[in-house]
Amino acid sequence: MILEVLKGIWEGSGIQAIIGDMMWQNVVMILVSFVFLYLAIGKKFEPLLLVPIAFGILLANMPDTGLMADPLNLMHAEGVVVDPNEVWYHTGVLRLIYCGVKSSIFPCLIFLGIGAMTDFGPLLANPISLLLGAAAQLGIYVAFVVAIVLGFSPNEAASIAIIGGADGPTAILVASKLAGHLLAPIALAAYSYMALIPLIQPPIMKLLTTEKERKVEMKQLREVSKTEKIIFPIAVFTIVALILPDAAPLIGFLMLGNLFKECGVTERLSDTAQNALTNIVTIMLGVTVGATANGIDFLKWNTIKIVVLGLMAFCFSTVGGLLLGKLLYIITGGKINPLIGSAGVSAVPMAARVSQTEGRKYNPTNFLLMHAMGPNVAGVIGSAVAAGFLLLMFN
Amino acid sequence: MMNIYNLGIWVEMGHKADEMSIMEALSVSLVGICVVLAELALLAVLIILLSKVLRVFTKKKTADNTAPVNAAPAQAPAGVPLPAGQSAGSLDLVDVDESTAAVIMAIVSNESGIPLNRLAFKSIKLMEEK
Repeated sequence: MILEVLKGIWEGSGIQAIIGDMMWQNVVMILVSFVFLYLAIGKKFEPLLLVPIAFGILLANMPDTGLMADPLNLMHAEGVVVDPNEVWYHTGVLRLIYCGVKSSIFPCLIFLGIGAMTDFGPLLANPISLLLGAAAQLGIYVAFVVAIVLGFSPNEAASIAIIGGADGPTAILVASKLAGHLLAPIALAAYSYMALIPLIQPPIMKLLTTEKERKVEMKQLREVSKTEKIIFPIAVFTIVALILPDAAPLIGFLMLGNLFKECGVTERLSDTAQNALTNIVTIMLGVTVGATANGIDFLKWNTIKIVVLGLMAFCFSTVGGLLLGKLLYIITGGKINPLIGSAGVSAVPMAARVSQTEGRKYNPTNFLLMHAMGPNVAGVIGSAVAAGFLLLMFN
Repeated sequence: MMNIYNLGIWVEMGHKADEMSIMEALSVSLVGICVVLAELALLAVLIILLSKVLRVFTKKKTADNTAPVNAAPAQAPAGVPLPAGQSAGSLDLVDVDESTAAVIMAIVSNESGIPLNRLAFKSIKLMEEK
């Protein structure tokens, strides 16, 4: 009797599963999760995102946990129940939470928080920033063409290309809608490259600008009235939703968050959106995105292609912003420093900080940060519009 | 009304969902970047118009409010602080850059509890350490 119980415990244990039927891909992914945890905790490399993502990878790749179990095939059959004997509560807990990603709830809520944290003042003071934010979406379209050449389907190519928008929630939203099977590598690539912006952008900035251009000091931005800041989110949402309704969820939540911040009568809502809500959603989004990185699905040749295409998209987006920055430098007779163009790749505020740091290397009295914040927040709008276009085309 | 089973313009145009030639990809990309540029350019124009309209209104309002003051300038009380967020006058900086000066003024304001629009700085000078 005791032996039978012990045998039963052994057969039901994860250790037996590791010896018995665990795939080598899962082992590799568990090791990858340890590396990510080390980078996040030991090296402080994007810890707020990398810790939940890394732990999600660990959770999903341990044998027999059932955390991502999907007996109803919720994620693959558009909600059609394939086994009438199964019930929803047999679905793994992470799979259930993942419904928040699949249904776009989490990306939209993250955008609400981003909106509540964003000051659009620099953009309103210098509206030309919007063009820089648009030009810095170039990488999305270059990567799309290259992905098609490499044999990806249009839906997959669009999902991979959006990495060039340098916006995690946008990349997750587009990938979950168009190519859910590629979500994990796309999300990991997007967040990894966002963290690596200080390494990726400076060589391109140096390559495409002259020392004279990098030294340009821009004149102080005008003061923006409160009325402008209140009207702006309402006007942007109205226009974007009318022209490109597929971008409405992201832009809508972004602008709602910003209205909370600027209207002056919803401080509690703004505070919740900026802090508690964003933190809660980040935990759930990070863990479940990590949990989609099951070794058997993740360790494929396509993942390497996605990583390379993502890097290329980032680089071309930086190039797009810088080239328009150079054009504006010429048109305005040297009044615009082209370095602020690279900040158009979204990734707030990291990309703007890179513009500031690079600018000060060549002119220590130069303060480009606020000037770069304009294209930076314009990039958030630009990448959401680009995502809306891709969803309109392929969703 | 939006159809949840919408397959996207690409399929609605009669193309296969999983096929696209390089030329078609280039065309889609070109249209895509043009859409983003056009939409953000439109927003830029809107912001410019909005700020101009608001400035006209603000100027009109300010002119209405300042008209009686202009009529009797001699009676304006001395030492009245400037509106919040505004500053006036000149400041001599000696061996100090503008950003450092801004930080010093902010610290003085914070420590003294006096708003910046009530403080007057005449000069900020770097003192040599002895």
